[in-house]
Amino acid sequence: MVNKSDHEIVPVHEILKLKEVNELLESKNLRLENLPKIFESDPQCKKLGAKPGHVIKIHRNDNGNQYLYYRVVVEG
Amino acid sequence: MQAEVIDNVKFGLISPETVKKLSVVKLNVPDTYNEDGYPIDGGLLDQRLGVIDPGLVCKTCGARAKTCPGHFGHIELVRPVIHSEFSKIIYMLLQSTCSACHRILLGAEDVQSLKDKSKGIVALEAEELTSDEIVEANEEADARKHAGRSLLKKVRGIKKCPYCGAVQAKIKFSSPTYFYIGDRKLKPDEIRDALAAISNDDLRILGIDPDTSRPEWLILDSLLVPPVNVRPSITLESGERSEDDLTHKLVDIMRINQRLAQNINAGAPQIIIDDLWELLQYHVTAYFNNETSGIPPARHRSGRALKTIAQRLKGKEGRFRYNLSGKRVNYSARTVISVDPYLDIDEVGVPFDIASKLTVPFYVTEWNIEKAREMLTRAEYPTILNLTSTDGKRKRVIDTNREDLLKELKAGDILERQLVDGDIVLFNRQPSLHRVSIMAHRVRVLPGKTFRINFCVTPPYNADFDGDEMNLHVPQTLEAQAEAKYLLEVKYQVFSPRDGEAIITNNEDGITGMYFLTQDDTRLTKDEASYILGIAGIYELPNPEKNGTYKGKDVFSMLLPKGLSLDIKTSTGPLRIVDGRLVEGVVAKDTYGKGNNKLLLKIGLEYGPDVLKQFLFASSKLSDAYVTFSGITVGVKEYMTDSAIEKARSELLTSTFVQVDDKISQYKTHKLEPLIGYTRRASLERMIIVDLNMAREKAGEVLIKHISPSNSAMQMARAGSRGSIFQYEQMSMFLGQQATLTGGRIKRGYYTNRVLPHIAPGDVRPSARGFVQTNYYTGLSPIDIFMHAVGSRGSEVYKALLTARSGYLYRRLSNALQDLYVEKDRSVRDTGNNIIQTIYGGDAISPVNTQFVKLAEKSEK
Repeated sequence: MVNKSDHEIVPVHEILKLKEVNELLESKNLRLENLPKIFESDPQCKKLGAKPGHVIKIHRNDNGNQYLYYRVVVEG
Repeated sequence: MQAEVIDNVKFGLISPETVKKLSVVKLNVPDTYNEDGYPIDGGLLDQRLGVIDPGLVCKTCGARAKTCPGHFGHIELVRPVIHSEFSKIIYMLLQSTCSACHRILLGAEDVQSLKDKSKGIVALEAEELTSDEIVEANEEADARKHAGRSLLKKVRGIKKCPYCGAVQAKIKFSSPTYFYIGDRKLKPDEIRDALAAISNDDLRILGIDPDTSRPEWLILDSLLVPPVNVRPSITLESGERSEDDLTHKLVDIMRINQRLAQNINAGAPQIIIDDLWELLQYHVTAYFNNETSGIPPARHRSGRALKTIAQRLKGKEGRFRYNLSGKRVNYSARTVISVDPYLDIDEVGVPFDIASKLTVPFYVTEWNIEKAREMLTRAEYPTILNLTSTDGKRKRVIDTNREDLLKELKAGDILERQLVDGDIVLFNRQPSLHRVSIMAHRVRVLPGKTFRINFCVTPPYNADFDGDEMNLHVPQTLEAQAEAKYLLEVKYQVFSPRDGEAIITNNEDGITGMYFLTQDDTRLTKDEASYILGIAGIYELPNPEKNGTYKGKDVFSMLLPKGLSLDIKTSTGPLRIVDGRLVEGVVAKDTYGKGNNKLLLKIGLEYGPDVLKQFLFASSKLSDAYVTFSGITVGVKEYMTDSAIEKARSELLTSTFVQVDDKISQYKTHKLEPLIGYTRRASLERMIIVDLNMAREKAGEVLIKHISPSNSAMQMARAGSRGSIFQYEQMSMFLGQQATLTGGRIKRGYYTNRVLPHIAPGDVRPSARGFVQTNYYTGLSPIDIFMHAVGSRGSEVYKALLTARSGYLYRRLSNALQDLYVEKDRSVRDTGNNIIQTIYGGDAISPVNTQFVKLAEKSEK
């Protein structure tokens, strides 16, 4: 069966290391709750084994505009 | 000061004891004034209820009209009445409790399950809840509401009380205040006894908090009378007094109350007493809500329905929406708008009457005190209306105190001077759908009674001059004035925040003139050139031709900044500007800013908002001057057709019909090759539509070929100033296919799936499905008119539905996004510092600037 999350138009997701999370929050003057959220049950979270509290880094590409997006994993 | 935080609001009922406590006087005279015109003691305008006439002293608090808050009184009703607004709750309580022992008609098990659900209300009462617990409690409270509903359903089937075994008779309720057991009417006092006997525990299960709301309080035997401040009487010019609607109703209540008391004392028969009792109930019901269903509304002598308590609060003009949510501001004005081409695009013409009433603060300092003195000395127009001295006292400046104020004038005082030319004001037209619905303009005080604006700023406001009104606001602090001037001024808003296209641009006559002026063969004499350039505010002439005339293109070039270069393709052919001189091409609508042709964009980018504004103004003036000079007119004659066009038209139609007939016969003989994904029938339909659309396009070409290029309507369509080829077609060729909402051809209306009875069922030829081959000039046949009306009605209905739906969608969207902002790191955040986007739009480019970006990319290549 085809795994949809491996499709080329699905952006690359990765779990951010604790140190990187702290740097991110520090540099953007944020608390963890301020980040957009992603469910633990999201296919990408399942694939990465992300648990609530982890921050996911998403390498987005919109029509050639490459940028990073961050989401904090929440229960659900 | 720390603001109080409200964490919950609870509504309850007023108990009879509370009524007595609140009341300062028991009223017993059903009248207002005595013969001497003096308020009767114990009457409805008793002086203990507060005073509103200046000079009088309140008999309760001793304060005067301005400071007395008013005091409640009460009426004691000799027989109790039901509070009609609560009769549904009373009905629910009567239905769900036993008529003998007054316990809930449910067994212990059901009661327990309801109790579990009603925990919510208990939790709410406990103090010190965490926010999570409150959320939980609220959810439970919601569940409890549903419990109440399901309780009624359960109770309905129960015939016998599970506790005392009493047989339950069915209780009937008839709106607004009638309750029956069988055929016997329940009197309010019986109902009260029944309600009073329900235990507190049972009430909690039913979702009622007995500490604040005992149900027997819903049966009134004393009525709170609001203070006179709430229902002031008005003295008419004739000296006659006119009482408030509430006072009238209260008089009615007291009259019946008194009659009822007399009849009871006189030992009148029960029927008479019951009738009066019912009448008392009616008056009290109407007093609370004169629109209660089931009662005739109480009327004024003139036949107008009385506005009682509920009517005061309800609806758009009620206390909540009109007075509490409705906000009105000072330093603002509103009037009809009209055009004035002599005003610059960032000006607004303000009527003298308005300018002399609106004020701008003038902060007196030691450096401008001389100027302040001078202004204060003046008695007429640009003068000072008010003065606020350093001690905070605000005084009106009038001729008699001007001398004194001048003497006392010192630094720190604030003067309020009248609006003068050059002041910055905010100008707005509702609905304020986007940011350019409010822009800053410079004031020009003018005679007349309307606001005037330049025609070019009409599109951002979506304004026209058929009676539109607009609002004007005067920023009152220096900070606000500076913000308005540097952020909101018209010259900074030329490019739309939606897509970066120019939204403030020349239109209609402002284009037509340019189109004529920049034609290749336009030549002007020195007089003519000087005249129109002079109107545009340019007092130089371009280099003349050898014969002493001036080329139109050169005259236009005088508007262009030196050094501007542009090489673009427009709808009227290529256009080339070299070093601020138009050397090739004709200026039309799309030269200014639509699509890829960006004269305005280029000027805005390279020379800034001031030059751009100057160019827009000058070019609209020049264009207006030149059309006035060259003249343009449109009449029926533009749409007359000659035999050549007639011939081309009928040939076009015939060939189209032949094509269509051919397809139909192919279909009938099963030779038509169906389109991929379509049935044979649908393929035929699509092919016919394609053929008919083709005919319309060809009609345009025929017109362009046959109509003289000097035809005014055609010229305007080509310049892009007004009208289009399509509209020309409808007038001189044929109307074409009339469509339904779904975009398909008209195919039903009469039975057996045909439009009209004369059409054979199954006929799919163009004429049978709403293709109109006549035009507005020659006129439509009755059948054509019918087809056209079907199409028009469809599009009219669609338009109405679309605007309502999309308007509301847009409102919700803009409200949801309104507090988001772009942080310094270019991320989008809300007020809670939550990240919405890590980079604005994924590329951090503002839509206003997207066109600039494209232009820059183009020049790089």
